[in-house]
Amino acid sequence: MKVPLVVNGERVAVEARPDEMLLGVLRREFGLLSVRETCGIGVCGACTVLVDGEPVSACLLLTPLAAGRDITTVESLGGDHPVQRAFVEAEAFQCGYCTPGMILTAKRLLEEMPEPSEEEIKTYLGGNLCRCGCYVKIIEAVKLAAAESYPLREVSGT
Amino acid sequence: MIGMSAVEWLEPRSLEEALDLRARYGEDATVVAGGTFLGILMNQGFLRPVRLLALRGVLDLDSINQENEGLVLGAMATHRVVERSGMVREGWPALAHAFSVVASPRVRNQATVGGVLADADYASDPPAMLAALDARVVVAGSGGRREIPVADFILDHYTTSLEEDELVVEVRVPGRARRAVYRKFRSRSSEDRPCVSVAAAEVGGGLRVVVGAVAGRPQYFPEACALAESGRTEPDLADEIARRYAEAIEPISDARGSARYRRRVVAVEVRRALEDLYRE
Amino acid sequence: MSDPRVTGELRYSQDIELEGMLHARILRSPHPHARISRVDASAVPEDVVVLVPHDVRDLGYYGCQIKDQTVLAQEKVRYAGDPVAAVAATTPERAEEALDLIEVDYEELPAVFDAAEAAADGPLVHEEIKLSENDAAYFGLRPQQGTNVCHRFRIRHGDIESGFGEADVVVEETYFTAGAQHAPMEPHAALARWEGDGLEVWTGSQTPFNTRMDLAGIFGIPEEKVRIVCPPMGGSFGAKTFVRLEAIAACLARKAERPTKIVLDRDEEWLTLNRHPATLKVKLGAKRDGTLVAKRVECWANTGAYADCGPGVAQKMGFASPGPYRIPNVWVDSHAVYTNLPPNGAYRGYGQMQCTWASERTIDLLAEKLEMDPLELRLKNILKDGDRYCTGEIMHDVHFAELLQRAADAVRWNENRHGKGLCVMLKGMQTPSRASIAVEASDNGNYTVLCATAEMGQGARKAIRLMAAELLGVEVEKVGFPDPDTDAVPYDTRTTSSRSTHMMGRALEKAVEDLRKNGRRGYGEVVDEGGLDPDTGQGVASSHWHQGAAAAEVEVDKETGRFSVKRLHAPVYAGRVINRPGAELQNEGSMIMGVGTALFESVNFSEGQVSNANLSDYCVPAAGDMPEVLTHELVEGERAEVHGLGETALPPVPPAIGNALHSLGINITGLPITAESVLDAIDRRDEERTRSTLPSQEEPATEGVAGKNGARRTYAVAFGISLGALVVGLLLRSRRIAAAKRLVPRRLAR
Repeated sequence: MKVPLVVNGERVAVEARPDEMLLGVLRREFGLLSVRETCGIGVCGACTVLVDGEPVSACLLLTPLAAGRDITTVESLGGDHPVQRAFVEAEAFQCGYCTPGMILTAKRLLEEMPEPSEEEIKTYLGGNLCRCGCYVKIIEAVKLAAAESYPLREVSGT
Repeated sequence: MIGMSAVEWLEPRSLEEALDLRARYGEDATVVAGGTFLGILMNQGFLRPVRLLALRGVLDLDSINQENEGLVLGAMATHRVVERSGMVREGWPALAHAFSVVASPRVRNQATVGGVLADADYASDPPAMLAALDARVVVAGSGGRREIPVADFILDHYTTSLEEDELVVEVRVPGRARRAVYRKFRSRSSEDRPCVSVAAAEVGGGLRVVVGAVAGRPQYFPEACALAESGRTEPDLADEIARRYAEAIEPISDARGSARYRRRVVAVEVRRALEDLYRE
Repeated sequence: MSDPRVTGELRYSQDIELEGMLHARILRSPHPHARISRVDASAVPEDVVVLVPHDVRDLGYYGCQIKDQTVLAQEKVRYAGDPVAAVAATTPERAEEALDLIEVDYEELPAVFDAAEAAADGPLVHEEIKLSENDAAYFGLRPQQGTNVCHRFRIRHGDIESGFGEADVVVEETYFTAGAQHAPMEPHAALARWEGDGLEVWTGSQTPFNTRMDLAGIFGIPEEKVRIVCPPMGGSFGAKTFVRLEAIAACLARKAERPTKIVLDRDEEWLTLNRHPATLKVKLGAKRDGTLVAKRVECWANTGAYADCGPGVAQKMGFASPGPYRIPNVWVDSHAVYTNLPPNGAYRGYGQMQCTWASERTIDLLAEKLEMDPLELRLKNILKDGDRYCTGEIMHDVHFAELLQRAADAVRWNENRHGKGLCVMLKGMQTPSRASIAVEASDNGNYTVLCATAEMGQGARKAIRLMAAELLGVEVEKVGFPDPDTDAVPYDTRTTSSRSTHMMGRALEKAVEDLRKNGRRGYGEVVDEGGLDPDTGQGVASSHWHQGAAAAEVEVDKETGRFSVKRLHAPVYAGRVINRPGAELQNEGSMIMGVGTALFESVNFSEGQVSNANLSDYCVPAAGDMPEVLTHELVEGERAEVHGLGETALPPVPPAIGNALHSLGINITGLPITAESVLDAIDRRDEERTRSTLPSQEEPATEGVAGKNGARRTYAVAFGISLGALVVGLLLRSRRIAAAKRLVPRRLAR
């Protein structure tokens, strides 16, 4: 079936099987390889994308359920987004596989809570797993990004 | 046979249309609400649907309203919407809390009220809390609507009393619980599903304690709860009710704890829930 | 300045694609031990390429230390998950569907899962044990033919009998550590292509040269005909070592005459490689004043159905088990044992965590019996520069006492010891080993480092580039480091045992010196000699030692056994630090992985089948699992050597936590330390206190259900209700969901 999507600001109608998860479609049809499969059960966060600004596991989202919705992946942030800058500054990654999901989740966290406490960061990012165990520096990065007076209620996909 | 057998996507725009399709296809059309549980089953190879019946386009199924002191949660309201709703947080804070501790924001952005009940997964958080609040599941089918207490709706592991032609349309929570608490006990990671969960509430003057994650369905023992009306006082009462729950439940064993261990934790956590409840 | 990791642009093995490539899937055995009586793939359509045991029966055996593996199981399967057939199709989905069309009949055989049991008397997993010619079989292997012991390593130092004769106090305990899954975020992925009679493989691997050797052996071609390229890995921790999927991908590619890629599904990771479950029996004797006089250790490393590097793991477990202490009489027997579990292999520390757990828990048992401060007992016996280790080698540049003291200070040990625990560890580095590196200069002032060191997130590339930039006197941006490619880079043993920064750093100095002389290209090589006699354990275990310590502080919920780590501190000896944030990340990551090992990571089995092969039933540490305070120190030395830090801070964590519990009378011998095992230990403690005339120091933990004894292995009991309940539930819910075979874990069908 043809599914109309808005991917990183671009309107596209994409051919997908109705039982296909968005993860595979984003990788195959759009070459968005920052969206990665690890657990396949929505536990790890490596496939996090923002759907209408809210984090969702692309591995569990049937493609037709994303029809007409705004999908943001880390590719669209460009590299100079405050959260990305903070991750680089804090060196909050090792292998980098989980990093795009972390960044998107942190982005949304800071929209909801511009000045999160350490506990709030741990809880909100708790479902994004980093097997390299970079959490100390990830939390540091989120605090850094917050300190950069992160703009409130930022529109998704900037 | 090998090959790309086409999967059909059905997306009705109204409840009537949805019910028609449900009546026509029954279990040959897999109902899609948020799709998280379904996604897990499909990704794990447990389920290969031939026809998907999505409810996303059905109007008004995702609303949250207050009606005669009670709360009405639309079947398609997501966990995140429930947990963040001012109405729910104000009137039913323990319920908002139970929804807020489910998995991650990602899952809660997708998973729905109707889905979590219809999936009847033993380790989900909301069912025990809803049962403790004496909530009722409203289902619609060819024969009209009926209301089923949550405690009777979930029958066993992944099994409900929903008929093949029925859909969950809403959940009705009676008037504000004077006191209510939800405790989620994890035996391993902070991100783990519960080993034991306890929901306790005072509803209509009576106590309702429901234990989740320990058996095929939420565990509720009215006789034990009735002790609360016996005039006994804390802490004796909490101990006694907890002891009775631990005795009555036949817990499962899984990676989160053996049956023997769960029984002990039930005794502790039910007592603590009641202590929390009476402290409120 | 951005980084490809934050923009999502970094490409991993699983992202590599070639024109016209096929996608492969593997059919695996559902039985832990069975004879294959029939494989019928006739129903698979022609456009899908199928590989059955018959297709690969003429190919060579392989294995990095023991030659015990075939590309697909021949005649019999040895674990639930053993590859029996494979398919390749234009899409992964089509390959998946084709798997269902292959029929396999089995005759089940008796199986064995416990290592000590398998070593003593169990059904034979392999009838004959043949040694490998691979470089990784670098030490004297001692297979015990006609048994399941594929390697036996011994230390005989002093006279153990008279040693225990001198002892005033002796403690003895048996420990068990569960298997763990590496769970790298990126699964195993390999892509193979044939060009004429030459094989090219792109694979996330820490061992390009070992993989090349084994693949050449399988296909009977010269090593030069095999090219291995290693793109960055999304984590590995030992999982992506030696031949994993590469042989199957290569066979399919050859048959299909098209490039073929395999990316494992998450559940298959548990069927591919885990950490060795181990049983360790420790007996330790001391004088009344705490002077250690004798130590006897027996280790059984459960290596599963294929040896992989289990012999090396058992050897390291054995030679590190005495710990960083002067002990005049040491007796060690360590065994790598075949069982019918999935293969176990390298896992961040390589046997070190298991023996440190047993060894350091025993020190605290001894301290208790001696009524001595565990810190004092350790310091009294700790190895210092110039001391001789039980292998006969003289210790140099060792800092155990300092590390231990720093750990103790961090938890204010001198104020009180309640809820606190310590650990100190010595860990060997791959010895002997060889590293070589080349540096090429180009006209525009840029340099290229040609080096086999693989990047898996540990930051080796950055460290090596930083060292090169310093030696060359240029900005680090001027130094390029392409993906390791066996056609382009000089030989290296492998990227393991935290050796790369140390070894490559030294080779690099030579290469840069050579470059200065020769202008365009410089080559440097270092060789560390050494090794141990496997029958006496004498020789050089390690050309230099990794040294770490840890202190933990815990708080226990006495009623549920759930406990939290309030504080965790790990000082490690870093020598000279090259990349500080990278070194910090290694320490923090090791500690957090250590917390997972200590608290909940356990591969569970039910009749040989993994019962928690998913990241919901198997937990890995999340942000919220970090200790409330997690700190560490990089202890540096003037003009010191570079010390690898990839693993040092992991093994000390579980014993520090176990010892912290011990300070509360909670005696734990098994890993992970589940809440359930703590509650059982509290029961035992309280029973003993009630029985003894001593007044209880604390109020009773809880009332209710009576406790029980001997819960040492309760954690090992495997259930897997989540999966089981799901299957039953679905059957109840809908009888129409295909046949029951659909409802058992995928690829274990039939």
